[in-house]
Amino acid sequence: MLEKPNKFRIALISGAVIGVVAAIPGLSLINCCCCAGVWLGGVLAMYLYKQQFTEGMPPLESSDALMLGLMAGVIGAFVATCINVLILVAFGPVEAELVKSMIGKVLDRLSEQGSMPSDMVETLKEQIEQSIKDAGRASNIFGGLFITLIVYPIFAILGALLGYAIFRPKTPPQTTQA
Amino acid sequence: MEFNKRTYLILLLLVALWCGGIVLAPSLSTTLPGVSSFLYSFYSPICHQIDVRSFHLFGEKIGVCSRCSSIYFGFLLSLALYPFFQKLQAPAFPQRHWIALAVLPMLIDVFMNFTGIHESTLLTRAITGLLFGIILPFYLIPPLLEGIAQLRDQHIARGGFFYARKTQ
Repeated sequence: MLEKPNKFRIALISGAVIGVVAAIPGLSLINCCCCAGVWLGGVLAMYLYKQQFTEGMPPLESSDALMLGLMAGVIGAFVATCINVLILVAFGPVEAELVKSMIGKVLDRLSEQGSMPSDMVETLKEQIEQSIKDAGRASNIFGGLFITLIVYPIFAILGALLGYAIFRPKTPPQTTQA
Repeated sequence: MEFNKRTYLILLLLVALWCGGIVLAPSLSTTLPGVSSFLYSFYSPICHQIDVRSFHLFGEKIGVCSRCSSIYFGFLLSLALYPFFQKLQAPAFPQRHWIALAVLPMLIDVFMNFTGIHESTLLTRAITGLLFGIILPFYLIPPLLEGIAQLRDQHIARGGFFYARKTQ
């Protein structure tokens, strides 16, 4: 019997997709909805992995989804951090500025409507300004990497499991119970 | 205790911790501001945390926005009730189209808000998020339990830690 396809190559591709989506300013906003970009990366990994299967290979299993999601999430976290640092060095805190302008517009509208006191709007704007100043700090970069190394694998695994539930073989393999 | 049941309980605990962190972030803002700040930072890569789009507790926004929190708490609720609907020993995979139906209202809400047809409210975000969160465990738990059991079996076959425990 043939062996299963190599997971690492697929994890690299989907991890790169997760990282690029998470790091490109504007595109990264997709992750604002429960890490949707990372979920989709996990689903993509499962789809690509399923395409690699040929006749004579062992069937696709749930454990493949777990491992693939884990690998893609870890790779995605590193890729996202690397691209973030590159963008930060080359262009400055572009993403933070983008978020600042978006939130600023919302805050101004709320202030005009009287839904939010103007002093609260100013406080929030100051907090955003401070976060832009902090964006380039090494502690922030490593702190971000630490958090994404926890969060991205979780959501990539969930995405891969969802992908497995969608793309699974018609008759899933039976597991032994303890 | 059966392996799948144990895995399920650990998962339930982890999801409860995840959801607990969301409400702890505002609750600890005055007593333990450092922990509260860490919790907000922890959830920041996965949510915009915009104040006006979030539920509030003790006058502070919770760790994630209303849509995200509805998804997570819907997930927790559905996960807690999961054993009443499915056998943990052999959970069945639901039909594929239910997940599309569950995500559709949320996508419509996002699309209508994005295009300006209808501005989404806390209520629409909460309801559509809750629906998606409630459906999700039915798709994620079967492969998760199955996958962890398979990894354990593979580990036992290689003579790993579980094998050693089993033979003691």
